[in-house]
Amino acid sequence: MYDVWKNVLAEVEQKVSKANFSTWFSDISLISTESGNIKIGVKNSFFVKQLRSRYFEDIKSALINNGVEVKSIDFEIQATNKPKIKPREVTRSDDTMRQHITAKRAQLKDVASQETGLNGRYTLSNFVIGSNNDLAVSAARSIINAPGTSYNPFFLYGGSGLGKTHLIQAIGNEILKNNPKAKVLYIPMPHFYADFVDAVQNNKGKEFHKKFQKLDVLIVDDIQSIVGKEKSQEEFFTIFNDLYQLNKQIIIASDRLPNQIKTMDERLASRLTWGGAFDLQLPKFEDKCAILKSKAEFDGIEIEDEAIEYIAENINTNIRDLESELAKINLIADVRGLTPLELIRSGAVSVQKTSKMHSVSARNIIDKVARYYQITTKELCGQSRVSNINNARQVAMFLLSKELGLSTNKIGAEVGGRDHSTVMHGIEKIENNLKLNFTLRDQIEEIKEKIYG
Amino acid sequence: MKIEVTQEKLSKALNLVSRIATGKVTLPVLNNVLIRVDNKKVTFTTTNLDMAVVDYLPVSSSSDGVVTVPARLLAEFVSNLPKGENITISAKDTKITISAGKYSSTINGTLADDFPELPEINEKEAVVFKMGVDEFKTGINQVIIASSNDLTRPALTGVYFNTINNELAVAATDGYRLAEKILVDKVESEVAAIVPTNSLQEVMRSLGEDVEEIEISFSEDLVRFRMGEVEIISKLIDGSFPEYRKLFPADNDIEVELPKDELTRVAKLAALFSREVGGSIICETKKPGSFSVKSVANEFGENDSEIETEVNTEGKVNLNSRFLLDALNALEENKIIFTFASKISPILIKNKKSKKYTHIIMPLNS
Repeated sequence: MYDVWKNVLAEVEQKVSKANFSTWFSDISLISTESGNIKIGVKNSFFVKQLRSRYFEDIKSALINNGVEVKSIDFEIQATNKPKIKPREVTRSDDTMRQHITAKRAQLKDVASQETGLNGRYTLSNFVIGSNNDLAVSAARSIINAPGTSYNPFFLYGGSGLGKTHLIQAIGNEILKNNPKAKVLYIPMPHFYADFVDAVQNNKGKEFHKKFQKLDVLIVDDIQSIVGKEKSQEEFFTIFNDLYQLNKQIIIASDRLPNQIKTMDERLASRLTWGGAFDLQLPKFEDKCAILKSKAEFDGIEIEDEAIEYIAENINTNIRDLESELAKINLIADVRGLTPLELIRSGAVSVQKTSKMHSVSARNIIDKVARYYQITTKELCGQSRVSNINNARQVAMFLLSKELGLSTNKIGAEVGGRDHSTVMHGIEKIENNLKLNFTLRDQIEEIKEKIYG
Repeated sequence: MKIEVTQEKLSKALNLVSRIATGKVTLPVLNNVLIRVDNKKVTFTTTNLDMAVVDYLPVSSSSDGVVTVPARLLAEFVSNLPKGENITISAKDTKITISAGKYSSTINGTLADDFPELPEINEKEAVVFKMGVDEFKTGINQVIIASSNDLTRPALTGVYFNTINNELAVAATDGYRLAEKILVDKVESEVAAIVPTNSLQEVMRSLGEDVEEIEISFSEDLVRFRMGEVEIISKLIDGSFPEYRKLFPADNDIEVELPKDELTRVAKLAALFSREVGGSIICETKKPGSFSVKSVANEFGENDSEIETEVNTEGKVNLNSRFLLDALNALEENKIIFTFASKISPILIKNKKSKKYTHIIMPLNS
């Protein structure tokens, strides 16, 4: 069809002057010829008017001469100076893709099931597995395969925004998938407490108890909020024991270990960790990149690998912050018409490096680095040029610059009155080594965890 | 074809229409002005295929005909003729003779056949707004400063006319700042159209002092501005303008009231020291009551000015001094409100009383 259009244009070209042809016909394109209804794309309404009033017959006869069936000819405006399509704009403007994403979102939005309290969007397949959580995930897998046999009770702990709720709900969902008849209940501790109070007030304490006794799998979230509620603690303890006796699976999540929860009954505290306690840690650099990539893919965001690495490097708090930073950068980039990497390069956004973290002093960083490399702070700030001390010193300089954004002069003063050029050299060396040396990267991640942990 | 008209009227009309006949297009006839006399109605028309300017010239006497003449040459010739002269333009085939008293010249024109026909607004479907020229001028001047000239993002190279909550608003943004003005309080019909900045600038230039009302008609892909004897038709930009109201910061926690004149002065002072760093200046609020503007140029020195005002929350923000000055220049009242947030969020600047104008600026990386 496109070759025919070229022939049509060549025929028109012979009938009109060169200037007219290059003005009116250089930017027009054939959109469709379906069942004789010809559609031609042009630049703007000035072109529509002119082509219709002056060149309509020329176009029509040229089309017919080239064997195209013509019933009607329509002109449609198509902006020609459309921007070079960037990859992310393809997904944006692509309607089918957008529909796909909205549909997917809508499908996930369906609220927590009334019966089980589980939200279907939490699955194991969209949980990004990394070195920070692989132990917990493999335990979760064996629970899914055989609930109630190993790791019972399963106790999961970790800071907020690291995926506790996601993982425990995913276990519930997977168990249900394997055995749709299983009776699973997910309940956050505050709800348990509220339901219990309700039941007691309405004299339905026994029914409340029975409801739990029938369960095959009980999933309790945020158990740390049990603090100071002795009656519910007692009730929970009984339910826990009953289910445990019957070899029913119990899954518990908390933001700290049971013995760190104040006023928790000691018997309960020790029982909670019988099946082993698993923790979710802060993700390492590679894990963070994997999380961002999967999130970007899920939300249909096109983002360069380098931009992802930049975000991963600068967010040290938790996964929730990682994801919100990704969304923020994507929004600003979209408005400015840049790709996320261009935006970051332009320096227009600063990732809030130490967001929600307690502030860290230069002293603190130096101490932590010295301790990590098992040297004294004095040695680190001293004159020794022994290679391990020198290396630790350079790591300290690097962290002072990246984490606190101190000037090279200031850093020089902090590490024992060194010249700013020495500092610059040190930082540069670490930066270069980081690209190749994975051990160093891990070390720095570990030190960062120590600093912020 | 023949026209008789005074030098002033003719010169004014020619100057107006000849600006867009620039010869940037491949078609030579687009350098020409189309002069058409049809039953006493005289029109001068030029177009660059993105827009067209039409001037309805009142003349003392005329006879029918149509011809095109190189627009620049004719405009310059007429403007150099003595004022107050009566000018006669007559055409025989494609030769145009212009005579005024003892001055006379002949210009080679062309036949009108090649001059493109202009698209027309579909009057039945068009959405029409009318407003006073003063409000229109002020409003457009306040927002057009924020429009972009980056051709890779065509949607931002125009001013967005849109109706929200029965108000007609105009907005423009270049991705770093955004300005919005409510032009008309109560409108019945709805519109969402991006008018090219170039076309609007042409409209602004064409607004003479004797014009009081402007009529704007939007159809699907065209807009027409009618003001007095002049009519400008322009294409609309095919694209979608960002949903900009979502960018208005809702939770800026730091808000200060400032006198505009003083802020302008300190911003200008700070700008002098900020050339090295791309215009970046630092605004800071300090308790109990000071708003300071700072800039540092390593080589030349630094600047630090203060304005007294009431401060509830302390904080600071970096921004481009040029954007700040543009915004201040666009505000009408002398008392202005300046708000920003401790986290990264746009800076919002507005008049203290009137809520019709909103200007936001993205902060710079500190």
